Amino acid sequence: MSDVLVDIQRVSKHFGGVRALREVSLAIAPGEVHALCGENGAGKSTLIEILSGSCRPNAGQVLLAGRRLGLGNVGACEQAGVAVIHQEPVAFGHLSAVDNIFVGRELTLAGGLLLNRRAMRRGASELLADLGGGVDLACPVRCLPPAQRQRVAMARAILRDAKLLILDEPTASLSERETAVLFALIRRLRNQGVSVLYVSHRLEEVFALADRVSVLRDGRLVGTRLAGELDRATLIAMMVGPEASESSRLGGDGPAPGKAGEALLEVSGLTRRGAFEDITFTVRAGEVVGLAGLVGAGRSDVARALGGVDEPDGGLVKLAGEILPGGSVRRAIAGGLVLVPEDRHRQGLVLPMSVGANLTLSVLRRLTRMGLTRPARERRMAGRIMGELDIRAESDRAAVSTLSGGNQQKVVLGKALAAKPKVLVLDEPTRGVDVAAKAQLHRTIRLLADRGMATLLISSDLPELLSASDRVVVMRAGRITGELTRDEATQERVLHLALPPDRANTEGGAS
Amino acid sequence: MSPRSVLSRLAGREAGVAALWLATVAAVGMVNPDFLRAANLHAIFVKCAPVVIVACGVTLVIVTGEIDISVGSLMGLLAVAGGIVTSPDRMGLSPQAGAAAVLAAGAGIGLLTGLLVTLGRVPSIIVTLGMLTALRGLTRVLMGGRWIESIPPSLRVLSIGSTLGVRNCLWVAMAVLALTVVLAHLTPLGRRIYAVGSSPRAAALAGLSSRRIKVFAFAFTGFLTGVATLAGQLEVGTIEPDIGQGFELLVVTCVVVGGTSIRGGVGTVIGSALAAILMMTIGTALVFLKLGASASYWERAIQGAFILLAVLTDQLSRRRGTGEDTL
Repeated sequence: MSDVLVDIQRVSKHFGGVRALREVSLAIAPGEVHALCGENGAGKSTLIEILSGSCRPNAGQVLLAGRRLGLGNVGACEQAGVAVIHQEPVAFGHLSAVDNIFVGRELTLAGGLLLNRRAMRRGASELLADLGGGVDLACPVRCLPPAQRQRVAMARAILRDAKLLILDEPTASLSERETAVLFALIRRLRNQGVSVLYVSHRLEEVFALADRVSVLRDGRLVGTRLAGELDRATLIAMMVGPEASESSRLGGDGPAPGKAGEALLEVSGLTRRGAFEDITFTVRAGEVVGLAGLVGAGRSDVARALGGVDEPDGGLVKLAGEILPGGSVRRAIAGGLVLVPEDRHRQGLVLPMSVGANLTLSVLRRLTRMGLTRPARERRMAGRIMGELDIRAESDRAAVSTLSGGNQQKVVLGKALAAKPKVLVLDEPTRGVDVAAKAQLHRTIRLLADRGMATLLISSDLPELLSASDRVVVMRAGRITGELTRDEATQERVLHLALPPDRANTEGGAS
Repeated sequence: MSPRSVLSRLAGREAGVAALWLATVAAVGMVNPDFLRAANLHAIFVKCAPVVIVACGVTLVIVTGEIDISVGSLMGLLAVAGGIVTSPDRMGLSPQAGAAAVLAAGAGIGLLTGLLVTLGRVPSIIVTLGMLTALRGLTRVLMGGRWIESIPPSLRVLSIGSTLGVRNCLWVAMAVLALTVVLAHLTPLGRRIYAVGSSPRAAALAGLSSRRIKVFAFAFTGFLTGVATLAGQLEVGTIEPDIGQGFELLVVTCVVVGGTSIRGGVGTVIGSALAAILMMTIGTALVFLKLGASASYWERAIQGAFILLAVLTDQLSRRRGTGEDTL
């Protein structure tokens, strides 16, 4: 393993003012599984795109088996032996597995004039059988489940004699058994001399598979280590870096206790059959209340009922003393309660539209005069929110799709704030954003509370929930099992209330 | 939706159109038995020939995810070009030169359209809308206010001649159809046409040149428009200025009714050809139902209804599929 298959030399890439990669140099040996780790936004995706040829770096070069890779040219990179299996395998949805595997490399008859369909079918079925089989060859791949689509993509790569196989979060949509099959396959390919660049957030997979691990942070290479010399804590420390762990401590400073004001959100006996029962709690002005529980405990259902998405079967919700009728998002917003839902892509962000347009989308009617929008006022408002939440974008005219996950999440939050709510219900606001953006969101949530906002926060990340909340309400199986003050709330106590009683001490952590 | 039902849906559109055609023929035949006479059915197929020929090209264009609505104007221009080259009143060259001019000009203008769409990155609906107007204008300029007359019969042999009792234009249409089926389903190029339309992103990641493939589809359509001009538009020795007007909409209607998705990736030339036969049969049937002058009005209304129905079917099947078909 002393020689080098892929030699990435001082590659830099910036998008506008954002520097995605800074002079990254990385060597991958033949027949090596090389893991690439880093927080969201560290530059992993950019590096993959550069190796695949779909993105041209601003500086630097890549050698593959000693020859310069035609960067910025997908065909040349593929020809040279780079194959990428994307997290959501990109495929020709209407074409069959056979066609997907062979398109661009068709087997032909009659001097290249006609397709040799029988040979392609046989070839595909052999390749796929080798990969674990079970793929319907004839039906359009859009109808295949993810694991089979991934196998089709792998077969494509193998057919093309890939020397470097890049796997981007390959287990994201696989079951445990499918994952085991994939791992066995990766090891076999490695033994055949194929190099694998393995990108995953799941550190246990990295340790199970990788020979070496490279870590990116903020577009820089932190280091490359032998996997055997690393442990989990060291790897996390490399990914997070000194700066970020400091800022998460900052976020953990917490609120000054005892300054909560009037009760803005009063929930009593709220029930939705099959989801939750007899939910009672209060959130005061200036207070952040955490709603803890395992996945499936009914936390998001409570949030949806409060936000008017689902109609509860019983109970009472009061907003600033006034009864809020359930089942209407519009009335909830008018009453001053805004729900920021979990899935930012599906719920409420118009990705191709500008940051400004997204921020003002829900209050556009308030900004109009005689039915016409008022661009100057709109931009002023967008600019103000962007400043308040520290939304990092080139300008308010940048498309939301170009922003990092953390900044997109801030746009969602900003959009909620544009409606001037008194009560904010945040469902997993930091899911999928990196540590730095997380810390910033925490600061923002605290800032809003200091200005009198009553906030209900849902998060599966227990340390985060504890550090951000003034009080924690714990749910289990649709019921409230306890309420802890800031001083009482430790991870152990919350878990004790959240887990089924008999398993509390045997299970290590909440999901 | 299970994989099998998707397949059967794709094959089902052709079967459905064919069944509808048979039903139409049977129903009209019961009302007016004259409709079933061989001569009448032959005449219907003759009317279909140019539509089928051009629809072969337009189907491929739409499968790549683009559209071409300029074929009617192009047909007018090509007819005039052929006439100017061969008419003794004008240049008076040989019919061979005339045919070559028609085919070369068709392919050349199709190529230009394709380049404008791919290199200029202008949506094809806009490019071909511009072509629709510009080519029609150019046609009138070339004609200079006069009809073109006395086109030599030898240039018109594909339009008026018969072989083995079947009009030549039908032989040409069948040949073009067969060739396009082979091209679409049995060659690498055809496979890539479907690939590009199915997922432009996957095509780019697979290193396919969607630009080259689309340019081919447009040039091929232009060439076939030339073929259709020779085979269908020169029945009389005179060329009038609005030859081919409205033809583009008829062709697109047939392609869409025949099961080609306007979003690309799905569709067959067989479906388009069957839909062309259905449409022309309905047009003739309305005459046989003795509707008088309103027959042609009804024809347009029915065509419109068909196109809406086809697009709606496409949309509904897609929506039903979103649960598990997303890529």
